[in-house]
Parts: sequence; C-alpha cells; structure tokens
Amino acid sequence: MNHNPQSSDGKHDDDSALSDFLASLMDYTPTIPDELVEHYLSKSGFQSPDVRLIRLVAVATQKFVAEVASDALMHCKARQAAVVKDKRDKQQKDKRLILTMDDLSKSLREYGVNVKHQEYFADSPSTGIDPASREE
Amino acid sequence: MRHVGVKSTRDTRESENQQSVSLESPKADEFGRAVSRIAVAQICESLGYQGFKESALDALTDILIWYLCDIGKNASFHANLAGRTECNIFDITRALEELGASHGIPGASKIGNCLLGSGTVREIIQFVDSKEETPFAQPVPKFPIVRDRKLIPSFEHMNENPPGKHIPAWLPAFPDPHTYIHTPMWNERSSEPRADKIEQAKQRRKAERALLRLQQRLVCNVSSGTSASLVTNAEKEKLQEVANNSFLAAPLKPVEKEVSQLVLPAKHSDEASKNNHVSVLEAFAPAIEAMKGGTSNESDGEKMLLPEKRAAVHFKFRTGKKILGAPLDLCLQKKGERSAAAILRSEERDDKKRRAEFILRQTMEYPMELNQS
Repeated sequence: MNHNPQSSDGKHDDDSALSDFLASLMDYTPTIPDELVEHYLSKSGFQSPDVRLIRLVAVATQKFVAEVASDALMHCKARQAAVVKDKRDKQQKDKRLILTMDDLSKSLREYGVNVKHQEYFADSPSTGIDPASREE
Repeated sequence: MRHVGVKSTRDTRESENQQSVSLESPKADEFGRAVSRIAVAQICESLGYQGFKESALDALTDILIWYLCDIGKNASFHANLAGRTECNIFDITRALEELGASHGIPGASKIGNCLLGSGTVREIIQFVDSKEETPFAQPVPKFPIVRDRKLIPSFEHMNENPPGKHIPAWLPAFPDPHTYIHTPMWNERSSEPRADKIEQAKQRRKAERALLRLQQRLVCNVSSGTSASLVTNAEKEKLQEVANNSFLAAPLKPVEKEVSQLVLPAKHSDEASKNNHVSVLEAFAPAIEAMKGGTSNESDGEKMLLPEKRAAVHFKFRTGKKILGAPLDLCLQKKGERSAAAILRSEERDDKKRRAEFILRQTMEYPMELNQS
C-alpha cells in the first residue's frame, strides 16, 4: 500500500481505518465467492496477489447488487400498497415479495442501466394482462 | 445447482413461461453464470425477497458479472496508467468511484482528496458493518480448471533430425510419412474366375465327404445300438467340427472306403442329371434307403451301408427341417430299441442334425450351379 507522508491526522485516521477494514475483511465472508470474483477479474486484466483486494471487490459488488435489489423491493412494496388500497381481498395473496422484471428495470434505470423487458409475447391466451393481477 | 442454497420457494419458476438455459447449447461461461446466479439469489433473499422471476434473476446475474468485469477493467486501466501491472487499493477505489459517479458518491465535490478518505470506501465499510455475514452456500472449486494439454513432441523429443537446415529442432515434429503419402497398392494375387470356381468345388466336395461320413456314423449307431455313447461323443465332435466350418473338416484318409466311390460326385450327377439330383443327397440316398426300407442292408451291420451301385432316387425338397431326422426315427421304431437313452440321444442329435442339414442345403445350391455351368 502506498504510504504517503501524512500531513494531517484525518488522513492518518483514514489510513488506519482502511487498514483495519481490510484486516477485518478477512473475517467477513462475502456472499460472492472469491473464486468467482477472481475468475472475472482475471478475465478483464485485473492482477493482484492480495486476497484482501479480491474481498474488497467482492464486497463492493455485493453492496451494489444489494442496492439495486433493495430499490426494486421498494418499488414492489409500493405497488403492493397501492393495490391493497383498491382491493382488500388480495392482501393475503400479495404478501409474497417477488422480484419481477418490472421493478428491476425501474430501479436499474437510476443506475444508468437500461433493461427493457418484452411487454408480452403473443403466444398464449393470457398475454397483455396486467402483471400484478396475473395469477402467480 | 440452481436449487441449492436458496431457502425461499421458487414457485414462480413454474409460472414463468420463459425456458431456462437448458434448451440452449452450453456456453463457455456456464459454470460462472450458475454460481453468480446463486450468489444473487442469496443476496436478494437476505434483503427479504421470497421469490424471483427467472428473467429478473438472469438480468441481475448479468448485472453482477458486468459490474465485476467493469471494476477489473477500470482498475487495471488505472494501474497501467500509473505504469504498473499489478493493481492496488487505489486503483480499485478510483474504479469504484468511476462506476458510482452516475449515482453520486459522497465527497465527490471535494478536490485534492486523498483516496484513503474516499466516500466510496467509507460507504463500503458502513455496508460491511451493518450487514450480517451470509457466506456462499456451497464450496466453489477453483475455476477455470487448467487441463494439461498434450502437445506435439518436438524434433528433439523424437530424436529426429529435422529435414532441412532451416527448421529448428525445437519445433514440433512432422507426422509420419504414411499419414500423408499415398502409394498405390497392387493386389499380388491374380484372380481367375475359373480357378476360383474349381477351388470352391474342391472345398465343397471335402465338406460333403465329411458330412457323409458323419451321416454314416449316425446310421451305424442307430442300427447297431452298441457302443453308442462312445460314438455319440465322437460324432458330436464331428458335428461340432462340421457345424463350425465345413471347410475346415479334416480331409478323409484314403483308407476309408466310401471315399473311392464319391470322389467325383459332379461327374455322376452329370450323368444322371435328369431328375433333381444333387450330388450330396445322391450320396446319402443309399443310407436313407437303408433306413427306410431295407432290412437287408441292416444285416451288413456296421460295415458299408452303401451298395456299389447307386439307385436313382427322387426327393421331395421339403422346407421342414426333418429331412434326415425322420427316417432315423422310423428306423428306431422298426428296431424296437426304444430306450430312454436312445431317445434322448436322438433328440439331441436332431438338433445337431438340423445344423448339418443347413450346411448340406447350402452346399446343395453350389453343386447345382456347378452342374449348370
């Protein structure tokens, strides 16, 4: 790691915080396995013998995916709340939170990823029905 | 692997009309994608999701893989920019900042900032502190597996001198010349159709003699009834031998009497070729006659059942298998030697005889050709 001459205590704190963090990373096992991360990083030219950096990347990716998924979850819950207002009898059925393409594309839009899902494939009788009211 | 590690139900999988990757041809990154899929599902599940749409799961898996590759590319770019080949924490921090720039990162407005105090990293630290640990569900082996590839050995390995001075010895050796040079092949044996036919006829006559001998033995056994067991063994052997390959039957020794009369059956059949004579059946005719009618022949005992002269006989070419078997049974009846052992033996012999008859029938066709040609 690059040890610049520290001019202020703030930087020193940051430095120690970071090194502590990297040390603590070894205890924390990210959900994304190390081998997977290594595979894709080496595919794109990332070379590092340090395992902590791999863990850092894994954690960063996990954070990103969690953010996207939580945004989608918020959309899903908002939609459920809106539906419940209209039809009370659907309350029990829609307790399940399901990740749908709709919510995902809305949340990804904010991150600059444009995911467009086909509205419908005209190959079955149930095409064109509102996805929320479709039987899950 | 898809169903492992996700505690939530996957009922929506069935409701989803889209087919999964099982219908498509396997891609190169199949394993990596499968592992990422499970990781994404675990992340979502820890957030509170209870089910996934398959297409959404696939899309999120793609996002994860792209993100990983993007971080790698950016980090290596920054490392190269600084004149290094190995990435360090600052490269990663810069890469993360770049990726998060569209979304906004804390402390982005500050300039001249040391990367150690970067907002992105702080966020990550906060994330780790707040999140509880959910390790991956299954142990993942190191992949991709590097296979030992067998290379073509070099000239040095083969202890060969490369043809031509311009070829260095460490290059792979040339293949053997027989793999790429085609030389014409001549068939040394000259083939004459006439000689071949004569040869064939000779071999068939040998087979006929063997069969005839066999037949005689059978008849002898039936008529005499003594020392049958010994003979049956011998004739079984014979049958086996004959059944296996009539052309391999042992040539008859000149001592045996019947040979002299049967040497050229083709000639005889030429002479008496008015009826449907076949040389083999002709040869057997006396034996069959003896079995059918004559007690006079039986008085000869084990000796020659074949009379000197041949009788002209008409045969019905039945498709049934019991051409020769039936007369034997008749003979047995006549003799009245119906012992259980004899019956058994005769039954066994019937089977073997069918085989012999089959061979006979085959040989019958060719002598007919010979006669006609």
